[in-house]
Amino acid sequence: MTDQPDAIIHQPIRLKIMAALKALPDGEQLEFVKLKDIAGATEGNLGAHITTLESAGYASVAKDFVGKRPRTRVGLTRQGRRAFEDYVTYLKDILNTGASS
Amino acid sequence: MSLTPNEAAAALRDIETVGRRSGQAFGYRYSGPYFVTWGLVWVAGYTGTDLLPHYAGTIWIASLIGGLIATTLLGARQPKGSRKNGIQAFGVVAIAFLFIMATYAVMWPVSPAQQAAFVPLLAAAAYSGVGLWAGARWIVAGVGIAVLTLAGFFLLQQHFSLYMAVVGGGGLILAGLWMRSA
Repeated sequence: MTDQPDAIIHQPIRLKIMAALKALPDGEQLEFVKLKDIAGATEGNLGAHITTLESAGYASVAKDFVGKRPRTRVGLTRQGRRAFEDYVTYLKDILNTGASS
Repeated sequence: MSLTPNEAAAALRDIETVGRRSGQAFGYRYSGPYFVTWGLVWVAGYTGTDLLPHYAGTIWIASLIGGLIATTLLGARQPKGSRKNGIQAFGVVAIAFLFIMATYAVMWPVSPAQQAAFVPLLAAAAYSGVGLWAGARWIVAGVGIAVLTLAGFFLLQQHFSLYMAVVGGGGLILAGLWMRSA
């Protein structure tokens, strides 16, 4: 068990973003607008957190157009998926340790 | 920076809540096109039955084959699409078709209105059941279809097929668009 949580994921909005993306099947992406709704973040705030996750290699961002409307989709990278699983394990270990002590 | 058990538990609860919401939304969007497809099948089948009752069997077989092909193609075209998804979608529809035919055979004779009401009621039960896991929109669609089917069956038997084309088929299409928008 690591002593410290992953600082990239350990932030309330980024945790929600990662949880929302992890719930998708491998390789799927979520539209920015939907992610904003699920994470309960403002547009600017969400954009900044996604940039942080993308810089860490945890999230991938794809931009395209649907007709004339721009569309941004966000997905988890393999590295992000692994990091999130480690983070969840870290949380569960804290609970297990707390329960057994 | 280390967490207390309470903070860890709260974070896990957040993860579960957000994950469930995200998974449900994905499921809705994934399922929407199938609702629309089968809504169109119902519109074609029931309208044809009302307009050309003597050819109802042929019209339904053609409509169902169209729906089966569209379902298979949709399964293969989904984002995680693969040949396997298409085959599974084909399998689900084929199993349902065989089950319905077997039920008619066992229950025969059944009136045209009973035949027409059975499939929507079966679909409504399936949607409602799936909804217990997949989310409330499935239950709303299932209960809505069941109520409208029963209302038409008991109150509008004379034009039941046309009623089912508009209300049943149209309802499925609207439900599909509603799910797609999730």
